[in-house]
Amino acid sequence: MMLSRAKPAVGGAAPPGDRRRKKGKKVPQLEELLALRDFTGAIALLEFKRQVGEQEEDADLWIGYSAFHLGDYKRALEEYEALTKKPACNPDVWVNLACTYFFLGMYTQAEQAALKAPKSRLQNRLLFHLAHKFSDEKKLMSFHQNLQDITEDQLSLASIHYMRSHYQEAIDIYKRILLDNREYLALNVYVALCYYKLDYYDVSQEVLAVYLQQVPDSTIALNLKACNHFRLYNGKAAEAELKSLMDSASSSFEFAKELIKHNLVVFRGGEGALQVLPPLVDVIPEARLNLVIYYLRQDDVQEAYNLIKDLEPTTPQEYILKGVVNAALGQEIGSRDHLKIAQQFFQLVGGSASECDTIPGRQCMASCFFLLRQFGDVLIYLNSVKSYFYNDDTFNFNYAQAKAAMGNSSEAEEVFLLIQSEKIKNDFVYLSWLARCYIINKKPQLAWKLYLKMETSGESFSLLQLIANDCYKMGQFYYSAKAFDVLERLDSNPEYWEGKRGACVGVFQMILAGREAKETLREVLHLLRSTGNPQVEYIIRIMKKWAKENRVPV
Amino acid sequence: MAEPRALEEEAAPRRAAAPSEDDDDDDDDDDDDDEDDSSESDSADDEEEERGAPPAGAYNPADYDYLPVSTEIKELFEYIRRYTPQIIEIEHKLQPFIPDFIPAVGDIDAFLKVPRPDGKPDSLGLLVLDEPSTKQSDPTVLSLWLTENSKQHNIAQQIKVKSIENAEKNPKAIDSWIESISELHRCKAPATVHYTRPMPDIETLMQEWLPEFEELLGKVGLPTAEINCGLAEYIDMICAILDIPVYKSRIQPLHVLFSLYSEFKNSQHFKSLAEGKKARSPPSNLPSQAAEAEVLSFT
Repeated sequence: MMLSRAKPAVGGAAPPGDRRRKKGKKVPQLEELLALRDFTGAIALLEFKRQVGEQEEDADLWIGYSAFHLGDYKRALEEYEALTKKPACNPDVWVNLACTYFFLGMYTQAEQAALKAPKSRLQNRLLFHLAHKFSDEKKLMSFHQNLQDITEDQLSLASIHYMRSHYQEAIDIYKRILLDNREYLALNVYVALCYYKLDYYDVSQEVLAVYLQQVPDSTIALNLKACNHFRLYNGKAAEAELKSLMDSASSSFEFAKELIKHNLVVFRGGEGALQVLPPLVDVIPEARLNLVIYYLRQDDVQEAYNLIKDLEPTTPQEYILKGVVNAALGQEIGSRDHLKIAQQFFQLVGGSASECDTIPGRQCMASCFFLLRQFGDVLIYLNSVKSYFYNDDTFNFNYAQAKAAMGNSSEAEEVFLLIQSEKIKNDFVYLSWLARCYIINKKPQLAWKLYLKMETSGESFSLLQLIANDCYKMGQFYYSAKAFDVLERLDSNPEYWEGKRGACVGVFQMILAGREAKETLREVLHLLRSTGNPQVEYIIRIMKKWAKENRVPV
Repeated sequence: MAEPRALEEEAAPRRAAAPSEDDDDDDDDDDDDDEDDSSESDSADDEEEERGAPPAGAYNPADYDYLPVSTEIKELFEYIRRYTPQIIEIEHKLQPFIPDFIPAVGDIDAFLKVPRPDGKPDSLGLLVLDEPSTKQSDPTVLSLWLTENSKQHNIAQQIKVKSIENAEKNPKAIDSWIESISELHRCKAPATVHYTRPMPDIETLMQEWLPEFEELLGKVGLPTAEINCGLAEYIDMICAILDIPVYKSRIQPLHVLFSLYSEFKNSQHFKSLAEGKKARSPPSNLPSQAAEAEVLSFT
């Protein structure tokens, strides 16, 4: 066990903890343990005294207090519940019980307990936050009015601002209080949390450093630092931060264990998600979202949808994720309703003041216009974030489609070819757009190759139609003729003969114009002969005649 | 469409530059080609038109009218025009931008916290974050400490001993347990004392006295603590009677003395002897040093 915590955490007068333990002469006092925020030790001490009959005054209350600040709310609840059942219960215990219920997520019980407590500022703050949880705007306003211009009330208000994503308002409160109370170091962490949420990760790091300099082993601060590293660098850097935190913690340290487990999954790119995340859903708000992200990455759109369909979105992240899931599901099952919802959510986020200039915000706008098939606008938004996504298959697939739709086939082809994902490369949408780009870029042989690599299916038939007609349009009659020839064999639709006939004559014209090798004529004749139409003989006769006159071997 | 916005780029690393329809941005090369696209993208109608228009390089039969060919061939060329290629619509597929995994940073202290029972301010959430420190005592170790340091021995305390999950993966927890327990043992009084000067062993001291001496003791008794002398002299006196040598310091002789006492007290043989003596009266002529021990016990 490391016993080298050098700095007393509170009050400054507490003796260093290591001396006591190293010498082992002195039994720790409750005040010392509390000052070190060694709440586990405090509880053990109080329990020992309770057992040997050296009952301190209010020992139950002190155990409740210690358990609460240790984050062991269940333990605190036991103490407070037992106390409220005693006849001579101090009425103030009710507000303690209410706070405990609040942190256990038992909001109804919290409200009932809070209302039994005598009026106090703490009670008002609690009811204020409960009104927020219940989304009761009327009550929220009335408890808000009762808040006073004292530090605790103002900090409580700032916390509400934070939860409502009003980060700037929260920062303003913290900075105002810090102006008069520079010693309130913890407020720096709160400011850093706000900057993190505002995506100012560098600024967050700077402010955070002020606190970490004084309390280098703070769990909350180190976790935030890891998150900043995740955003600024990568998962590996973030994991390293968490690891140093876990190494420094003693084995009886349980606080924030779930948070750390959760974030390890995040930093490891979803590794262990199915083991770790499901029990944390509705405990850590991000756990549900991350599970949805995990399912989306596994292409399990239905499972992702099931998890998120009842979530009422409030944060941009939630709106984005709902948009993404609806877009994926809508395209998968061909539902216009889902696509409409997706498009609306994307528009909402992308058009919001807070997100319009973030990368996800721009992606949202691009997605929204994509679903609306307004590809000019898609390109404007994608171009604005292009430099962040050079090798991103998702980005490139959307980007190339938009470019192709806007008629910029040469760049579209280039971007399509950057894509590495086999799944996208085998997608029929990818194949058809790439084939079209090839044809427009005068590389019909590459389009033909795409067809040759496909297994025979409805999709390969569609690709043939695309090649036949697009090549025809572009005067690339040789590949058009080949494609029509196959189509004609597969389906005796007379239209395919008309196409093939035109294409074969087209090749002939190109030969005459010197744009196609004369030798191709032999293959054209071969193609024509495979059709049993009376016109064939007439066409062949004229072509052969020309060949003879021009000494072209056929 | 959203207006391009002015941005404080330097402060927000992950923020994007404003979406721009102009080509004045400096960051890349292929924006020049986008000019055509964007200029035509102002309304959806324009787009539709453009998408319907033939791409550059499309086949135009008029381009080949110049060919000096026979009427026969010219008629044949008519077949090209007779087929109008279909416009094949290709679907679009939005590949959704799946967000990165989202780390959790937790909420900010809302000051909904239990105050100290004595009403004193605790500064939690102000001077320091309201979180337990990472160095928490091991409750089992602490209980052992407390028991050790407590004046009340023999506390029949039930100590919960926790087990370590996945112990093979958690050498740190095992090491720290071993370290704290050995620390505890280091601080306990040592089990044996090494005397700096020669001392008789306890076994020798427990031997019976000469019968005459025993007899005398029965008559006069040992000097009690009531005797009119200082503590040091009293110690010297008792040690002399018990054959314990006293050198410069009296600490070690006293240790021998109490060890002897403890040995008698815990000895099953003398315990039953002493009990038998109490039960039978008058005292038999067996007052050995066991009796002596009882005298000492009230000091």
